[in-house]
Amino acid sequence: MAESLSINGQLLFAGLAIGSVYALVALGFVMIFRATNVVNFAQGEFSMLGAYFLFSLWHGLKLDYFAAMALALLIMVGVGLLFEISIYYPLRNRTFLPVIIATIGASIMFQNGALAVFGPSPEKVRPVVETVEGTGGITLAGVFFDYQYVIILLVTVLLVGLQYLFFEYTILGKKMQATSQDKDMARLLGIPVVYMIALTFIYSSLLGGLSGMLVAPIFFVTHKMGATLGLKAFAATICGGFGDVRGAILGGLALGVIESFGGAYISVIYKDGFSFLVLIAFLLLRPQGIFGEKVAEKA
Amino acid sequence: MTSHDENLQKTPARTWLKPGHLALTLGAVVVVLLPLLFTSRYTTNLLILGASWGIATLGLVVVLGYAGQISLAQAAFYGIGAYAVALGTTRWDVNWWLALILGLAGAAIAGAVLGTTTLKLGGHYLAMVTICFQIIYTLINTNWIAVTGGPDGISNIKRPPFLVPLNTAQRYAWFALATLCLVGGLVWWLRDTPLGRAMRAIRENELAAEALGVDTRRVKVIAFVLSAVVAALGGAIYASGYLYISPDSFNFDHAVAFLAMALVGGSESPLGAILGATLLTFLPEWLRDLKRIYLVVYGCAIILVIVFMPEGLWGYVRLAGRRFARKLTLPSAVRTLQVGGRGTAGEEILRVEQLAKHFGGVKAVDGVNFSVRRGEVHALIGPNGSGKTTIINLLSGLYVPTTGYMAFLGRDIVGLRPSRIAHIGMARSFQNLRLFRELTVWENVLVGAQREESREAETRQRALAAIEFAGLSDKVQEICRNLPYGHQKLVELARALAGEPDLLLLDEPGAGLNQTEKQELVRLLRRLNEMGLTILIVEHDMSLVSQVASTATVLNFGKKIAEGTAAEVLRHPAVVEAYLGNREVALGV
Amino acid sequence: MRMRLGWILGLAAVVFVGASFTLASAQAKPIKLGQIIPMTGEAAESGKYHKQGAEIAVDKINAAGGINGRKLQIVLEDDQTTNPGGVAALQKLLEDKEIPMILSSIRSTQVQAMLPTINEAKIPVAIGGTNYGLTHSGSQWVFRFRPHDGMSAKVIAKFLVEELKHKKVASIHASDAFGNGGRDMLVPAVKALGGEVVLDQGYNNQEKDFTAVVQALKKSGATGLNTYMTFGTDLGVLARQIKQLGAQVTWVGSPSITGVDSRNLAGDALYGTYGVTDFHVDASPTSTEFAKAYKAKFGQEPDLYAAWCYDAVLVFAEAMKKAPDLRADNLRKAILNIQKFPGAEGEYNFDQNGDGLDHYHIVQNVNGNIKYFKTLRVAR
Repeated sequence: MAESLSINGQLLFAGLAIGSVYALVALGFVMIFRATNVVNFAQGEFSMLGAYFLFSLWHGLKLDYFAAMALALLIMVGVGLLFEISIYYPLRNRTFLPVIIATIGASIMFQNGALAVFGPSPEKVRPVVETVEGTGGITLAGVFFDYQYVIILLVTVLLVGLQYLFFEYTILGKKMQATSQDKDMARLLGIPVVYMIALTFIYSSLLGGLSGMLVAPIFFVTHKMGATLGLKAFAATICGGFGDVRGAILGGLALGVIESFGGAYISVIYKDGFSFLVLIAFLLLRPQGIFGEKVAEKA
Repeated sequence: MTSHDENLQKTPARTWLKPGHLALTLGAVVVVLLPLLFTSRYTTNLLILGASWGIATLGLVVVLGYAGQISLAQAAFYGIGAYAVALGTTRWDVNWWLALILGLAGAAIAGAVLGTTTLKLGGHYLAMVTICFQIIYTLINTNWIAVTGGPDGISNIKRPPFLVPLNTAQRYAWFALATLCLVGGLVWWLRDTPLGRAMRAIRENELAAEALGVDTRRVKVIAFVLSAVVAALGGAIYASGYLYISPDSFNFDHAVAFLAMALVGGSESPLGAILGATLLTFLPEWLRDLKRIYLVVYGCAIILVIVFMPEGLWGYVRLAGRRFARKLTLPSAVRTLQVGGRGTAGEEILRVEQLAKHFGGVKAVDGVNFSVRRGEVHALIGPNGSGKTTIINLLSGLYVPTTGYMAFLGRDIVGLRPSRIAHIGMARSFQNLRLFRELTVWENVLVGAQREESREAETRQRALAAIEFAGLSDKVQEICRNLPYGHQKLVELARALAGEPDLLLLDEPGAGLNQTEKQELVRLLRRLNEMGLTILIVEHDMSLVSQVASTATVLNFGKKIAEGTAAEVLRHPAVVEAYLGNREVALGV
Repeated sequence: MRMRLGWILGLAAVVFVGASFTLASAQAKPIKLGQIIPMTGEAAESGKYHKQGAEIAVDKINAAGGINGRKLQIVLEDDQTTNPGGVAALQKLLEDKEIPMILSSIRSTQVQAMLPTINEAKIPVAIGGTNYGLTHSGSQWVFRFRPHDGMSAKVIAKFLVEELKHKKVASIHASDAFGNGGRDMLVPAVKALGGEVVLDQGYNNQEKDFTAVVQALKKSGATGLNTYMTFGTDLGVLARQIKQLGAQVTWVGSPSITGVDSRNLAGDALYGTYGVTDFHVDASPTSTEFAKAYKAKFGQEPDLYAAWCYDAVLVFAEAMKKAPDLRADNLRKAILNIQKFPGAEGEYNFDQNGDGLDHYHIVQNVNGNIKYFKTLRVAR
């Protein structure tokens, strides 16, 4: 009994852990979508870029780990801004199709750019909590808790909390909310919509970069690390309810847990397939996801 | 034969497509020459690869270029065709052509499944479903080793038996290129068939297409099926060309590549697709020296093309070719518009009982009763938010009533699809224009005119009649988005009339028109009514209403507050109060 | 008229000059050897090593006077790490009729894609792919310069079951051609020695979480573990999780476990594990000599990516010496006649299928360094 508890407990923790990574990336998706109605297929690549920047600053330039992290986040600000200016802005008045494709193009560009610059060998980054010997975690009640995963979970919770406070209780947050709900009205009210949108992209880029940096010690840094992350996170947002922050978090966590248990009890090989099957089920039966609202087209 | 009929026979309605005509013939000639000019195995193999990719991209022209549905699953269908032929000629030991048919059938079914799942979805949801499909396909392909051979792939695939044995690369290259030309020709032909027009209408404005009688569900599924079948053919060509296939030629990256080929070349034209496929086949070879940055450039190029060349390279060619396009000359209409003269005058054409539509807590329409008799011009008026447009949407099938009963010519129409309602004789226009902006006036009206049961000639007749009626004969070749607003409204009217309806629903036809245009509208509406058309008109301009309407129903807050002749209704105290507020206030007391 | 005459004379001059050049250089004309490597795409890094390994061999041969007085020269083509790319590269090389032999890919799926073209062209091709079927598909023109997966499985089985006495063995393998092929060979090999594969666990490449896999491992009761894994990242994650979740097994892995990537990423989680590999510096005098020359020229230690190409060039050169007319069928016979040829990977004895080697080295990860343990020979 205790054994099965610890086995399932382990699977649960593993699922929540991976799920929180998905949730972080999904959060970045949702922010951009709410503000601009754009689905950013390059969101996963923000994670990849963040990880690589951290690696080159920490390993290449030998900076202190935390300083490297801060600096890498700063660079991600620039990335977000650049992305908004060159991809979103020229296409802001077009339909969704060109934008999707443009972001796919950006994703290809980022992946292969990283490949060209850093080469195909995967790289290693130290975890936040560096243990000299040992396993990098602690075993309690038969369940192993990897410190890095614990940190990721904590950061996710913290971030969601901070985000909530920011959007509900600060003027800037309210302005950004207004922009995402009705751009034209916000403009008429004197809110600088262009800046609000730029801020949104920057924030999503930061979220992506941070998630990549936190995940780097576990997944290792490769040019493809963002690809599956992005797809899974996207699936999570759809299941959770597109455009809903709660949906992104819940969806991400749920997907991670489904994968973890599905892998253990059904098939490790078709593990990826489960996420997509769940996604298809949602798309067919309840496309607005768990928290989403039905959107009707006005005739 | 009368001169009219002679004109019909010679209808050069397609002459203005000549640049495409010419290009296709030229292309065919080039294609025949290519394997002769480049005899090295290396280039010949590239020709085979390019041809198979070109065919797959042509599938995207149908589903994306024509019907406007994004599909990131094209590599999966390509793979189904390839594996069918591969397994067929190795493990199952069947004739290549039989294996091909099996593959095409399998792809058709898969395409239908994919198409059906996406019916209620659009936009990014659609993209996501197609991506899922593609990924699940790859997972099964790689892991169902018993059937697909797994990552080892399938070797020793055979070539198709043909008039001449296709045992050399050069001969097979011809075969592949000929198939490419054939498929290209078919896709090109599809464009101006009723089905092709329906697809393009859906791409432009799905709601309007549905309201005009296009069964958008069926057409979208057909688009997916066609794209899947075409892709499968491409895959079969590839498999027998290279004689070995493995799952990594059919993964998500390839689906993206096909999409890129379609976009770079120009997704709306088969020639564009072929151009795009050629470019992305040979570019990696020519740019071998660029090595690592090739793919970075590729990603960057996609972005640049989207931003600066939304119609792809072929878009430029077409733009240049427009100067050489011959003017479309249509014959004059054989007959006038037949919008009435059926049924008995005075019969009840439309009946609405206790109609209600609630959106959550909002009661947009709250138990409305009225009826319209044949030959009437019945106005539906009321202040903003009174439910007028909602009623039009309910009548035309865009909304389903919460409760209530609607009958058209005695037949219950609750729950019917808009396209069915259009078919049985009720047409409508939209408050915010819903033209197919990128199509010409002629094409717009043709879509309105086409019906499943009619032949193309009849459809043409109706369209011609509608165009002449609206006085648009000299503008048939114009692209709608280039027309001034007033003319656009005329096109929308002509389009609705082209189906020769019994009842026409007009939703604020006078909005945005100046006085002269409004007078013209009044004249047209009066003439239509004289010809026998029954009209239900929603309007704000009271003078317009009083000039055309015989009877009127007034709504406020979703309820009927008055009914009668136009004159009576406009003097009704409840109506005045609804529009102007409190009567005393209005009178300044 | 004058212009036309001028054209003719000019053309003639060019032809004469060209001809004389050709005649003059015919004596010193080098023999070309084609080599297909990934210069772009996923495997681009290893392409560099293939190239460098071949270069060392070319230097050695040319320093000793070349082949029958002619220098050896490598002609490179990029296969872009894709199947059609490999076929295209092969065909490009085949266009040059002066290339009598070609070194091709280490990726089994690419070799499979190239087989139809190889069989049609009837030219000896060296391969590094280890999939068993590559030399057992009926082709007469494929020569393998690494031991195939059947042998690695037998060596692993022999070491784990016979020598280290682990009767219960777990197999964790990638669900690709390599992984599945290895598992297919391992199960009967273990059984034949009286052991049992108690866990057959596949996983998808690029898996990020091996919790379920490690749990299955612990549950199976296996004391010996064999892995057939393709990617260093997967190895890193698995190794870490095996350590974290406390699975106690003796681990003998496929060659990727000895790779730089895996060791770098997994760190101490791989200390003490064993691997099989076809190349180790200390395995034989030839390998040591090769490593020395390699390090001198390139400043780094060579690996199996470089070693097999080194051997391929040496063996092919030997065949060219024995068949100076460079005709394909004679070259082929010459290769098949090569016995007891010392290469960096081991001693080459070619059989009728085209396989040259029949052993694997067992190595051990000692504090991050790969130490040579022993060599095991098995039946082909």
